[in-house]
Amino acid sequence: MSTPLRGLGPLTRAYLLQSFRSRTAIFWNLVFPMVWLFLFGFIFYRGQPTLMMPGLLTITLISGSFFGVSYLMVSEREAGILRRYRVTPVSATTVVLANAIRALVTLTISVTAQATVGWLVFRYEVNGSLLLTAAIMLLGGAAFVPLGMFVGSVAEDMRSAPAISNLLFFPLVFGSGAAFPAFLLPGWIQSVMRIIPSSYLVEALQGVMIRGQGVMELIGPITVLLLTLVIGAWLNSRLFRWETTQPLDKRAVLTTVAVLLALFLAAAFLAPAFEMVTRPGS
Amino acid sequence: MIIQVRGLRKQYGDNVALQALDLEIEAGGVVGILGPNGAGKTTFVEIVEGLRDATSGSVSVLGMDPASQGPELRERLGVQLQKTALPTELTVREMLDLFAAFYTSALPTDSILQKINLLSQADQKADTLSGGQQQRLVVGIALIHDPEIVILDEPTTGLDPKARRDLHGVIRELREQGRTTILTTHYIEEAELLCDRVIMMRSGEIVADGTPFDLVGQSSESSTIWIHVDGDMDPAPMIAAGVEPLGQQGDHHKFATTDPTATILALGDMLRSQGLSLVDLRLKRPTLEDVYLELMGDVPADDDQAIDDGAGS
Repeated sequence: MSTPLRGLGPLTRAYLLQSFRSRTAIFWNLVFPMVWLFLFGFIFYRGQPTLMMPGLLTITLISGSFFGVSYLMVSEREAGILRRYRVTPVSATTVVLANAIRALVTLTISVTAQATVGWLVFRYEVNGSLLLTAAIMLLGGAAFVPLGMFVGSVAEDMRSAPAISNLLFFPLVFGSGAAFPAFLLPGWIQSVMRIIPSSYLVEALQGVMIRGQGVMELIGPITVLLLTLVIGAWLNSRLFRWETTQPLDKRAVLTTVAVLLALFLAAAFLAPAFEMVTRPGS
Repeated sequence: MIIQVRGLRKQYGDNVALQALDLEIEAGGVVGILGPNGAGKTTFVEIVEGLRDATSGSVSVLGMDPASQGPELRERLGVQLQKTALPTELTVREMLDLFAAFYTSALPTDSILQKINLLSQADQKADTLSGGQQQRLVVGIALIHDPEIVILDEPTTGLDPKARRDLHGVIRELREQGRTTILTTHYIEEAELLCDRVIMMRSGEIVADGTPFDLVGQSSESSTIWIHVDGDMDPAPMIAAGVEPLGQQGDHHKFATTDPTATILALGDMLRSQGLSLVDLRLKRPTLEDVYLELMGDVPADDDQAIDDGAGS
C-alpha cells in the first residue's frame, strides 16, 4: 500500500542538496540578506540597530517565502520535473511538505546568518527572550511559506511568478512597518496597516526584541500568524498543480483570499484591543 | 490481457486526439506505436499512465483504472516521459536513490547503474552527462522499481546512432526479462528491429496492427528483384508473366513484382529456355517503412503537434 508521506525524507534531502549546491540559491539565501542588513545598518537605521532588527528579519522572511518558494515551485513545474514525480506513487502532500520544509530550513539559515552578522557588526540588543524571538521567526516563516507556495500554484509560468510575487512583496514590506518604523505614522494609517499580514510578524518581533514582552502579551499577533499558517496550509492542499495544464481551482483561490481578508480585517479591527499599535519602548 | 482499451476517445476542445480506440495488449514482448506527430501516440500512453483523463471510453491497466488508481498502478508501471526534466544539481546516484524512495520496493541502485552502463558516471551530476547517457538515466529511473510494464515515449529521438544502439540493447534486455514494453517511436527501422508487435496510428486511429513481418506481407507495395546472368537476356517472357521490367542497373536486370515467389519461378524457366545461368540474384521485399509511407502518405509531416502536446489549454 502506498503511504501518503513515503519519500518525504529523501525528497526533502534532495531539495536541500539542490539549494546548498546552487549558486543562485546561495546568493538569494545568504548574500541578499547581507545586502539588506548593511543597507539598513549603515544607512536607514544608522545608530539604532535595535530598532532595525524586527523589520529587517521580517523582510528576509517575506522575500525568502515569496521569491524563493514560488520561483522554485513554478520552475520545477514548468520544466516538467513535477510531472516526472507524478508518474511515481509519490503524493502531492509529500511534494508540498518537502518544499515547505526546504523553505523553512533555508529561511532559518538566512535569518540566523543575518542575525549573527548583524550582532557582530552593529551590536543590537534583544530585550526579551531569545527563545521566543526564534520561535516567532519560525512561526512567521511557517505562516509566509504557504503564501509563497500559493503564488507558486497560481502563477502559470516564470513570467507571471515574479509579477505576482512583487505585487504581494511590496505591500508586505512597505505597508507593514518592516521597511520603516510604523510608529512615525498617524494612528489611523497604523490601523489600516493591520490589514497587511506581515505587520503582525513585525509587531510580534518588536514586542519581544525591543519591548521585551512575553508570549501572553503578544498573544494577539501570534494568533493571527497561527491562523495565517493554518489557512495557507489548507490552501496549498487544494491548489497544488503537477502541471500547468491542470486547471486551477478558482473557487478555492477565491474562498481562501476571502477568508484571509476576513481574518486580517477582523485583526485590524481588534488590533487596538491587543495594544498592537504602540510605540516601541513606550 | 495486461492492457485493455475500449472505445477510448480524447478531445482537446475541437481537436480529436483519439477517436474510439479499441486495443488489447498481452503480457510480454515489445509493442511499438508508430505514427507521425499528432497521431495520438503520446496522448494514448499518457492516458495509460494516468497523466490525462479520457473524454470517454475505458482503460484498464493490470486490472486498474489509471485515472482513479494512479498511485497503486504506478508501483507496477515504469514510465519514461517524452517531455521531461530531471531535478538539477543531483548526481546520477542521488537521482536514482531519490526515485527509489518513492516506491514500496526498489532494486539496488548499483544493479540499475550497471544495466544502463552508468556505473563510472554514478557520482557525476546528471546535467554533465551526454545526451545518450542522460536518456539511459531516464530509462534507468523508469526501471528502478522493477515494473511489470515499461512505457517509453520516444526514448531515442535526437540520439546519435551509437547512443540509440545502446538504448536498443536495454530494450532487448527488458524483453528477455519478460516485461511488457510499450515503445512509441518515429523511427520505423527501430520498430522493425525491436518490436514483436507494431501498431500504426494516424489522426487518432489505429490503421495497422500486427507483427512487423505480417504488416510487410500485407503491403501492396511491390518487391524488387535483381538478376545478373552470364549472357544476353531477352526479358520479354517476364512481361508476359505480368512482371514489370525496370531496365538494367550495371550488370543487373531489375524487375518489380507483387508476387516474388511466382516471379522467381518464371525467371528460372526463362533462363533455362534461353540457355543462361544465374550469376547473382537479389530480392528486396517491401520494408515496414514502405508500409508506413503507404498508410501515412498524405498526412502532412508535423501535422498538429499541438495534439500530442496536449495543448489547447
